[in-house]
Amino acid sequence: MPYVEETEKGKLYINENVIARIAGGSAMEVFGVVGMASQQFLKDGFAELLGRENLTKGIDVHIVDQEVNLNLYIIVSYGTKISEVAHNVQERIRYALQEIAGISVNKVNIIVQGVRV
Amino acid sequence: MKHSEIDGYLFARMVVGAATHLKQNKKKVDDLNVFPVPDGDTGTNMTLSLTSGVNEMEKSPSSDIGKVAQALSKGLLMGARGNSGVILSQLFRGFGKAIADQSTIGALEFANALQQGVETAYKAVMKPVEGTMLTVAKEAAKEALMRAKREKDLTLLMKDVLRAAKDALARTPEQLPILKQVGVVDSGGQGLVFVYEGFLSVLAGEELESENEGVLHDLSIADDLTEIAHERLPAQVGMRPEEIEFGYCTEFIIGLNKLYQGNFDEALFRTHLSQYGDSLLVISDDELVKVHIHAEHPGEVLSYAQQYGDFKKIKIENMREQLGEILDREEGKKGGGDQMETAGNEDEPHPAPNPALTSEPENRSPYALVAVAAGEGLEEIFRSIGVTELIQGGQTMNPSTEEIVHAIEKLNADHVFILPNNSNIIMAAEQAKELVHVPVTVIPTKTIPQGIAAAIAFDPFASPVENEERMNEALSRVKTGQITYAVRDSKFGEVEIKEGDYLGIREKEIVISDPDLSHVAKGLISQMVGKEDSILTLITGEGVEAALVDELVSFVHKEYPDLEVERQYGGQPVYLFLFSVE
Repeated sequence: MPYVEETEKGKLYINENVIARIAGGSAMEVFGVVGMASQQFLKDGFAELLGRENLTKGIDVHIVDQEVNLNLYIIVSYGTKISEVAHNVQERIRYALQEIAGISVNKVNIIVQGVRV
Repeated sequence: MKHSEIDGYLFARMVVGAATHLKQNKKKVDDLNVFPVPDGDTGTNMTLSLTSGVNEMEKSPSSDIGKVAQALSKGLLMGARGNSGVILSQLFRGFGKAIADQSTIGALEFANALQQGVETAYKAVMKPVEGTMLTVAKEAAKEALMRAKREKDLTLLMKDVLRAAKDALARTPEQLPILKQVGVVDSGGQGLVFVYEGFLSVLAGEELESENEGVLHDLSIADDLTEIAHERLPAQVGMRPEEIEFGYCTEFIIGLNKLYQGNFDEALFRTHLSQYGDSLLVISDDELVKVHIHAEHPGEVLSYAQQYGDFKKIKIENMREQLGEILDREEGKKGGGDQMETAGNEDEPHPAPNPALTSEPENRSPYALVAVAAGEGLEEIFRSIGVTELIQGGQTMNPSTEEIVHAIEKLNADHVFILPNNSNIIMAAEQAKELVHVPVTVIPTKTIPQGIAAAIAFDPFASPVENEERMNEALSRVKTGQITYAVRDSKFGEVEIKEGDYLGIREKEIVISDPDLSHVAKGLISQMVGKEDSILTLITGEGVEAALVDELVSFVHKEYPDLEVERQYGGQPVYLFLFSVE
């Protein structure tokens, strides 16, 4: 279900995929994030490191009643403070979505899926 | 002072020097912060991170630099705050790893360690953004590697490293568009430069002060010249246009020719220029000369100055015309504000603008006030005290320069005052000022209560200069208190903060934290109110219960019987209460 914004001149639909890309693009720029992980491989017990083109596989976007929630599956660099990196990702994504798409996000959940040494 | 090697003790002193210097310049770094999120906390985060590193380091003093660097790296990791703090921790982690087994290091090892830090940091990010602290660190390390082959004195080496870092910092606006747009250098990069400056000051055994003039200063001095010069010319309003002897306020910056670099005779230059006019100010360094002068024939000034080099920036304003406008407004005449060219008209006083020539003389007003705020109640408050245009925004939602420009353009006014009401928005407002054709004055209000005080102090019959003074005076008299809630555990100074706690903030400092809102509110009020205060205003935010407000009002009546209490509904998000004490 896309995000819908009512404007004076008509409606604006923003697809989940767009939101995922913006979130992924901004998460990549956050220091300490070395990759996004595909959650489809979870059940096999390993996380696949995604390339830039596949970023959105590491991001779940849920839009219910115009409320936007995100789950991000990330891989962090060894030796960075995980809580702080996660917090920075949350802030950066919130800011980017607000600026670029005018969407205020309800929650950004970070699932740290791996540490790269 | 010469140093051929660094041991654990010297290194510890260097780090402490860096932390102290960074702390002193924290605010400057905060003010530059526009990327990745413009929340103005880079300097604070870097300082907190480095301080945590220093604390850990000081627990285990050693003559072995390897051990000291390890401790520092551990403390930085634990205390890392914000993006910049995490980067800093990685730079020092790599640095520490490179020299882990050493007891002392020389120039080559130092350079290698810097480089190792940069490599570690670059590995820790998927998509490094150039034009940030990472770039500054990279350029500095590159210079170190190159110089260390020949230079064995670490003090001289550090000088080169610092210079390379400053050069890299100056280039950051070219690499990161957002920086260029706002007209600043990267905040994290500036923070790192302060760290390197701290290192150098300890190595050189000098007090910082003279070394302290970075890129930041160069840019800001140019902008301040007009202000500095005009402060010496008060009461312009009392003058008549024809009484102005030198009609053009002329300001420019020259990049000196190679020939004059390093041996520019400022005194001679100043003496020569003084024959052209008054209010003369000249500031120069090795490469740049900045000049402010009121002259009758600015062309002659420029021709003379041009022989020393190329112009970087020129600004000439017709002061008679400006004054004419002010006087027109004073006399209650509408109109003025035309922007006609007056070239060739220098010898005669400029005639008063003809109202018939100006557009829309009917609805045009001499002044308009623009304020930034969030919450319907605050909007009403601002409108009730004369603010014409409200821009939605505040702590977590900073309006863009563009939004501010739109707000100004909507207004049909001769002079616009902006109240940003947040330190992070002041810069955007200044930027907007450059983009519009109407004269704009930004009153640097950092909080809502300051904004309210400034708006109240505004006098529609006073001149812009007087109003600016009145409003700045008013905002400096107001004490601001704010209450919000903590979104995570942390520590600020002596205050331990748990997630979900209410935080009482006085000006910029968290002074109290507790799960009980009423307790926090009362505590904050007690900390703010002094003997000389007469009014306390409570502005309540979104969803605050009336019973609690009643409780606070009776608390104040009881504790401070002489204090007048005013309650207002602000409806602002994020802040449950705003207190203003005057």
